[in-house]
Amino acid sequence: MRSTRELGLAKPFATRAAQPGHHYLRVSVEFPDGGVRLNAAHFKQLIVSALKELHGEVGAALPVDVLTYDEKTLSAILRVSSSGFVKLWSALTLLGSYQNRKCAFRVVQTSPFLLALSGNSRELVLD
Amino acid sequence: MSQSSLYNQNAKLGYSTVAINHVIDFKEKKQEIPKPISPSELLPSLPIIPGKLKPIKIVTRLTLVVSDPSHCNVLRATSSNIRLYDIIAVFPKTEKLFHVACTNLDVDLICISVTEKLPFYFRRPPVNMAIDRGIYFEVLYTPAIKDSTMRRYTISNALSLVQICKGKNVIISSAAERPLELRGPYDVANLGLLFGLSESDAKAAVSTNCRAILLHGETRKTACGVVYTMKKPQPVEEEEETLPACKRAKTQV
Repeated sequence: MRSTRELGLAKPFATRAAQPGHHYLRVSVEFPDGGVRLNAAHFKQLIVSALKELHGEVGAALPVDVLTYDEKTLSAILRVSSSGFVKLWSALTLLGSYQNRKCAFRVVQTSPFLLALSGNSRELVLD
Repeated sequence: MSQSSLYNQNAKLGYSTVAINHVIDFKEKKQEIPKPISPSELLPSLPIIPGKLKPIKIVTRLTLVVSDPSHCNVLRATSSNIRLYDIIAVFPKTEKLFHVACTNLDVDLICISVTEKLPFYFRRPPVNMAIDRGIYFEVLYTPAIKDSTMRRYTISNALSLVQICKGKNVIISSAAERPLELRGPYDVANLGLLFGLSESDAKAAVSTNCRAILLHGETRKTACGVVYTMKKPQPVEEEEETLPACKRAKTQV
């Protein structure tokens, strides 16, 4: 928060971050052996098992929502509360295998705003 | 060949420099240090990083697993192939060797074991000396992806390291042998948060510190000594009437 004196304005001028907010992640999972079909429920279970492996029961209880899921490309948009963001991201990074099949999670984009996931600000591309 | 797919995956994920590691374990008998493979022999053309126009840069690195003080002598030998590597890392197995590596040895990196319980505790004085000398500590993350026991050891060893060194001079690298074991740079920086680093330290662990190590390796390859000139104090000039000005000695030895 900036005081009135710093900005030379008549009224105090405050900036506040968005509060209990959500973080959004665009992720995709890669199975190198191929031939794996996951429906949305299995995908959610994959995420919960990754959280459980790394952060235990408390991690598995983290409220994660799958907002969209594309079965063909195995990619999804997830929403998680900001306090659990680091836990979820680290759990997805360290996931090595699912049901004895090797896999890798690729986090494509993250943002605290859902609208930002529709474009890539580094390369100025809008889907 | 799986190696070329590794570099392709690295370029796809956004890494601009990759180091190929040769591990030499002195426990086995008669280990000779081979010459480093030049990157042009491995791949005819290096993959280009998406978003930039340059191909990825490949550097060579040597890791020495030392469990005995006599193994460190190879670092002082002037005729071995060690000079040809860009980065030299040492993996000490005992506390004495860790102390020697931090204070005396001419290396760029000290590897921290992540596959077993730390055989020794870190102490602040040698770690601070290493930080002053510009030596970095390395934590691997690929063993954590493969196995859950390794995950525990990685996190606990990394936590104790970060506690002692206060987050400075840490890098996180993968020891990936397959493209599936690689993770993107921001994912790895997030792992740094899990290890107790602050946000800026975690990002530096993947970017700034790695570049500093490359520069440290370059200084080790190039400079062996420094020559500098010092101005000698001039004696007071006395009036000379015998010689005209053009014939007076202009320089003094």
